[in-house]
Amino acid sequence: METADLTHHISRRFNEDLEKVRNQVLQMGGFVEQQLHKAITALVEGDSRLGESVATDDYKVNGMEVSIDEECSRILAIRAPAAGDLRVIVAIIKTITDLERIGDEGEKIGYIASRLATMERPADKYREVKHLGRQVAQMVHDALDAFARMDSQAALKTAREDKMVDEEYESIHRQCITFMMEDPRTIRRALEIMWIVRALERIGDHAKNICEYVIYMVHGKDIRHTSLEDVAKQIDAAHASSRG
Amino acid sequence: MVAMWTFALARLAGILLLGLCVGLLVGPVWLWILAAACLYLGWQLLTLYRLDRWLRLRSQIDPPVLGGIWGDIVAQVVRLHRRKQFHKQRLVQLFRELRRSTAALPDGVIILSPQREIVWFNRQAARLLGLKRPVDVGLRIDNLIRSPEFVLYLHGDDYAMPLVIRPPVQLDLYLALQLVPYGGGQSLLLVRDVTRQMRLEAMRKDFVANASHELRTPLTVISGYLDTLADDATIDPAWSGPIKDMRAQAHRMNAIIADLLVLSRLESTDGEAPRDAIDVPSMLERMHRDALASAERPRQVLLELESEDGLFGSGHELESAFTNVLVNGMKYTPAEGTVRMRWWMDAEGAYFSVIDSGIGIPPEHIPRLTERFYRVDAGRSRGQGGSGLGLAIVKHALQRHGGWLDVQSTEGKGSTFTCHFPRARIWQQTVRAAESA
Repeated sequence: METADLTHHISRRFNEDLEKVRNQVLQMGGFVEQQLHKAITALVEGDSRLGESVATDDYKVNGMEVSIDEECSRILAIRAPAAGDLRVIVAIIKTITDLERIGDEGEKIGYIASRLATMERPADKYREVKHLGRQVAQMVHDALDAFARMDSQAALKTAREDKMVDEEYESIHRQCITFMMEDPRTIRRALEIMWIVRALERIGDHAKNICEYVIYMVHGKDIRHTSLEDVAKQIDAAHASSRG
Repeated sequence: MVAMWTFALARLAGILLLGLCVGLLVGPVWLWILAAACLYLGWQLLTLYRLDRWLRLRSQIDPPVLGGIWGDIVAQVVRLHRRKQFHKQRLVQLFRELRRSTAALPDGVIILSPQREIVWFNRQAARLLGLKRPVDVGLRIDNLIRSPEFVLYLHGDDYAMPLVIRPPVQLDLYLALQLVPYGGGQSLLLVRDVTRQMRLEAMRKDFVANASHELRTPLTVISGYLDTLADDATIDPAWSGPIKDMRAQAHRMNAIIADLLVLSRLESTDGEAPRDAIDVPSMLERMHRDALASAERPRQVLLELESEDGLFGSGHELESAFTNVLVNGMKYTPAEGTVRMRWWMDAEGAYFSVIDSGIGIPPEHIPRLTERFYRVDAGRSRGQGGSGLGLAIVKHALQRHGGWLDVQSTEGKGSTFTCHFPRARIWQQTVRAAESA
């Protein structure tokens, strides 16, 4: 399963089923990405209506998760896939859970953004939060690209970025504390911002999870709770052996 | 050619004759003839072998030097080969040129298979959409460009207009994507960077909105003073005429600015209108009463309600659209004429028509009626007042409801303005009855 080689089945229907469910996952991913972008835009531009629309649209993400889940169960029941195909299905079931959580965090950000829109905006116009938001959105995007291309190297690279997101989160955290100590009037806003950056940090973690499922899907190795350096060595070894 | 074949035949005959002669001189004749024939055959086979060897290893060894018929065949093969080589080179060159030119195109080009898989893309497409070569060839395009609008566009069947999206990799860009289907189910996806146009458009909209706002304040002061002056009895009566004119013009400017603001608000709100349930029949009845109460109206203003259903939409926008259509109809109808409002439905959707018995519109003006400040007859309509923006507002308001404006007119007899609404926007009376019950 080095590449997106889903075409070797005797049963054409099975291929179509697998391909269809994979497409559905990526479509769900596309929608979640859009939700995230909208939520961040709503915060930065102080657009309360956009924030609300993100919050009210979250039910669509949930609906997609349920329908993909059902499709996966159906494939498992009817086709009883083995080896690489089984890994694809397992990875898909896990990926959609994380996507759904990203959707939930996006909903939270949208909701808080619509509330913050009615308050006075800070002088820096949430520059740091915007930066973190872009970083996280890029991570989600790269994770989904890696999923589409079945590219374990890109997945590993994206998973590594989670560390940077965590650092950024720490620094905004400290900044918020400083603001609150300097001027108690900002406490309310700073607390809301903390919720948002917390949500963004969580989204980064979910994106990292998706990357791990991609590596699992491609190499059949479960790399959760393993250090990324070890994973890199294993993947390189796998690549070398597949080439040699 | 004939000479060559004759020569070859003569040579064969000569050899056989030689065999015959030697046979006649020494020993059995047939044996010698056979020997001569074998010799000839052996020589031919040797030549064939050399030819075959050359054909197989053509690129490494020079053509064999063969006389007669064989030499001619070698020459022909060489000529054929040269011609083929020449054509091949020309094709390769042409193909390279073609590929280089598409690669250098300022627009992105992606070739898609019938299954919407990527077959080929140029450098600009890779740069704008973040595609990678060669891993992305064979992947479905909607797996990589996952924006829900694009997925909808790709699986729809209306490719007449390009779709503008913000690319996932560079958020500050705007890209226009257009699918161009061609033979065999394949299609071409064109990607164009329209950031500049979008920015200019946004600047234009902002400018109109800001300018209108800025003009409004000074105008309020002017018309306020003019109102006071008009009521002031101590002013020289010679001034009352000019003051009245100034006041009327100030009012007109106010109306224009109000319309400009409505229009810029309609333009700047993206997407579809909200889906509030609007009771259109009651709205029209109210408009009818207002029209009957106005001073300058045609003798007959009628309302025909053929349906009790309403619409899902924005009440404010629908009212301003309907009012503008009605006011437009009344303005161009003489005092003794008739204006008829009609609200009706059929299987395709809902319609609001205003039918007047006015002066009519020459056909060449009809397509341009909804342009801003477009006047069919400059002198007349300015005399009638009005901002020149009414029908533009109608067009935009209808667009936001998925509808459009249709204009039929006969010069001298009157015009019919019809607002079309799609079925999906109809708010059914039966549902309303069930709700209230």
